[in-house]
Amino acid sequence: MSKLLEIEQFTLHYPGRGALLSDVSLHVDDGEAVALVGESGSGKSLTTRAALGLFPEFSRLSGSVKVRGLDTTSAPAAKLLELRRNHASMIFQDPRAGINPVRTVGDFLTETLVRWRGLSREEAYARAVTQLDQVGLRRTKDLMRQYPHQLSGGMLQRVMIAGALLDSPELLLCDEPTTALDVTTQAGIVELLREQQQARGMGMLFITHDLNLAASLCDRVYVLRKGEVVEHGGAREVFMSPRADYTRQLVGATPRIEIDKVPAAPAADGTVPLLAVKSLCKRYELPSGEELTALNDATFSLAPGGSLGVVGESGSGKSTLARMIVALETADEGELAINGRVRAPRPLRAAERKQLAKDVQIVFQDPYLSLDPRIVVGKAVADVFRLHQGKGRAEAVKSAGELLDRVGIGPERFDAKPRALSGGQRQRVAIAKALAARPKLLVLDEATSALDVSVQAQVLELVEELREQLGLTLLFVTHDLAVVSRLCAELLVLQHGRIVEQGSTSKILSAPTNDYTRTLIDSRPRALWEEQLA
Amino acid sequence: MAVTELAAPSVPPTPGTKKGPAASLMVLALRKVGTLLITLFFASLIVFFSRFVLPGDPARFLLRGRSPKPEALVEITKQFGLDRPPIEQYLTWVGGILHGDWGRSLTYRQSVSDVLLNRLPVTLELAVLAAVFITVLGLVAGILASLNKGGWDRFILITVTAAGAIPPFVAAIALTALFAVQLGWFPSFGSGDEGLGRLWHLTLPALALGLTFIAFMARVTRSSMNEQLSREHVEVATSRGLKRSSVVFRHVLRNALGPILTVSGVLIAGLLVSSAIVEQTFGLAGIGQLLVQSIDRLDFAVVQAIVMIVVTAFVLANTIVDLIQPLIDPRIAAGTESR
Repeated sequence: MSKLLEIEQFTLHYPGRGALLSDVSLHVDDGEAVALVGESGSGKSLTTRAALGLFPEFSRLSGSVKVRGLDTTSAPAAKLLELRRNHASMIFQDPRAGINPVRTVGDFLTETLVRWRGLSREEAYARAVTQLDQVGLRRTKDLMRQYPHQLSGGMLQRVMIAGALLDSPELLLCDEPTTALDVTTQAGIVELLREQQQARGMGMLFITHDLNLAASLCDRVYVLRKGEVVEHGGAREVFMSPRADYTRQLVGATPRIEIDKVPAAPAADGTVPLLAVKSLCKRYELPSGEELTALNDATFSLAPGGSLGVVGESGSGKSTLARMIVALETADEGELAINGRVRAPRPLRAAERKQLAKDVQIVFQDPYLSLDPRIVVGKAVADVFRLHQGKGRAEAVKSAGELLDRVGIGPERFDAKPRALSGGQRQRVAIAKALAARPKLLVLDEATSALDVSVQAQVLELVEELREQLGLTLLFVTHDLAVVSRLCAELLVLQHGRIVEQGSTSKILSAPTNDYTRTLIDSRPRALWEEQLA
Repeated sequence: MAVTELAAPSVPPTPGTKKGPAASLMVLALRKVGTLLITLFFASLIVFFSRFVLPGDPARFLLRGRSPKPEALVEITKQFGLDRPPIEQYLTWVGGILHGDWGRSLTYRQSVSDVLLNRLPVTLELAVLAAVFITVLGLVAGILASLNKGGWDRFILITVTAAGAIPPFVAAIALTALFAVQLGWFPSFGSGDEGLGRLWHLTLPALALGLTFIAFMARVTRSSMNEQLSREHVEVATSRGLKRSSVVFRHVLRNALGPILTVSGVLIAGLLVSSAIVEQTFGLAGIGQLLVQSIDRLDFAVVQAIVMIVVTAFVLANTIVDLIQPLIDPRIAAGTESR
């Protein structure tokens, strides 16, 4: 029997953008789990899609991509249909985008069965329900009638997996199937994938940017950079003793929980805390009329020069907390004091807001959205200087230049619009904008989550450096415990709007007292070889 | 991401209970109908009182330039209720409409309802036939353009854009010259008898009327389809081994319907308004032609009635579109629709 997936010297040219993939060779055998690791733009999605004969329009191909001997680069449409129906299935990154939002879950699952497996509606329905049970979903009969927007991301990804498994594929292609999910949800999905892959003896090609995740699931790893395979080998070797420079850099940038490297908290000297929060509550009314408590009875304080990590999953209230601190939301109950001054429990007036902005600044998750696309970055930063420091135009431009230089944006980019910058550069600009107000407290709301690991490492380094030089107080909202362990002396764990644990980061990470905290820590992917040792 | 984080908990904790979505759909429908009534009320105010801003005394017009005795003028003014305060006139008018009485036409000397009932069928048939042309030709052109990138796409786009730039009266003349005079396939004048004859007579006018809108429809269909084609769920459907036709109909076209429907709602009003020109050109006795004549003769009762009918058709069409939208996209009913 021919090899399950064999890609040989596959090159993909796109007019105007050159070679997006060059000379990529890789193979996946039956029953084997292989990871394809790389950062955004490395071409890993293109490679996987090629296995299904999904190529970008107008692209030029050379080399071969063979699934069970069928070369998808030259196969006729009918053969490709046959391949997609019987041999290979794919699980996509974002189930919310990947499942048609206007059709029911049942429709999504049964359409292939009815359309071309020739099953009757009843048979297809029964098969789909069984499959949903198998991927660990409950109340599956109700689910069949529901629309995607009524399900959580984790449930939807299970639906997507069920859809892929329904066709009993020999090759399962996974395109970052857990990136859009929470850590604990991710752990469940990874477990499910591993279970199904082993039980069915499928070959699996798993794309991810997360080396930890790759190591927890796959025996072999290919590292892709700018469309080229720079290294491949056993997961353990690649991870422990990388040969290529790029891999070494990637491994180094991958965040890890290192308890001995947690920064120390400033000595308690009885000064007024910079941020003091007492019994803070925030409720939202849902369109259905129900009330949702986003944050419930939060009490904590943060000393000047301190650093606090706020950790939790989607919907835990961590972003709500961050937004309340910078007065984008108004608390329903409780007290919030900055520098000892209690904030009035109402939306702030313009002058008050400006006053607050001198002390507190925020950096948002997505630098693609948080910068005005029409304003060049030099001016964006200079404007903040003019607003908050009352500087003249020339002076503001000069200060902006110095600050941008300091965050690693050279003078040649001052006149660039945000779209000309990479994600990491944009986030640096966003940080510079926040710092231009000379704040005492910097709130980072998932500020590195949208970035590649190596870029994330650079941005974290920058934040660390700035904290030391400027004596900034940090409040870092994130879902990633490893990031917190590197940056924050204190930690606050949120679940369903409640603080379930708070205290020193090293203590919580080494000896968590709360079940949920423990689950969070255990949900971090562990390499296969570590698991075998344990 | 903040948005999705807030939206995540809004997933009903006990799915499967039918009450939630159905109830919110009812609320949505009631709200839409309420908006409809309020809009119609304000429209009626504007339609009625705009007469008082227009120059010319309708009573004088009735006498056709004869210099009337002042008593006669007073008599006529009184007969049509023109001497009463505007508010009172308005209330009488609205009250009449609610009872199906649109007042009396000054020129025809019969009730407005009778005048309109004679004319309305032609216009409606014309509009419906034009709507059929728009839907069929516009959708087909849009779908073909969106599915055949490159040459065909450009050809269709250029053709419909050029065709859409032709004003209806020019289109009417051109169509008549070609199909009626040169080829003699279709009649150039009149609305014909009932049934097939009517259809035959209305084909050219309907085409002339619909031409602009066909282009519009084609462009909306094309861009709406293109937007859906680039969506990930379409790629997922393809990756699961569905045939191209299944993917296009079940996932692309189905999801592209929203914008297409919204545009259709706006088109209806446009059709009724543009029909005036086309009716004039083809000598059809419809309400468009009647509107032009009545404005000319200051027959305000008829003008007001026709404008009210057009406005009502417009608002009603848009309300119906709004009510259908949640059926097409269940996220609208849940209020969680996000792009």
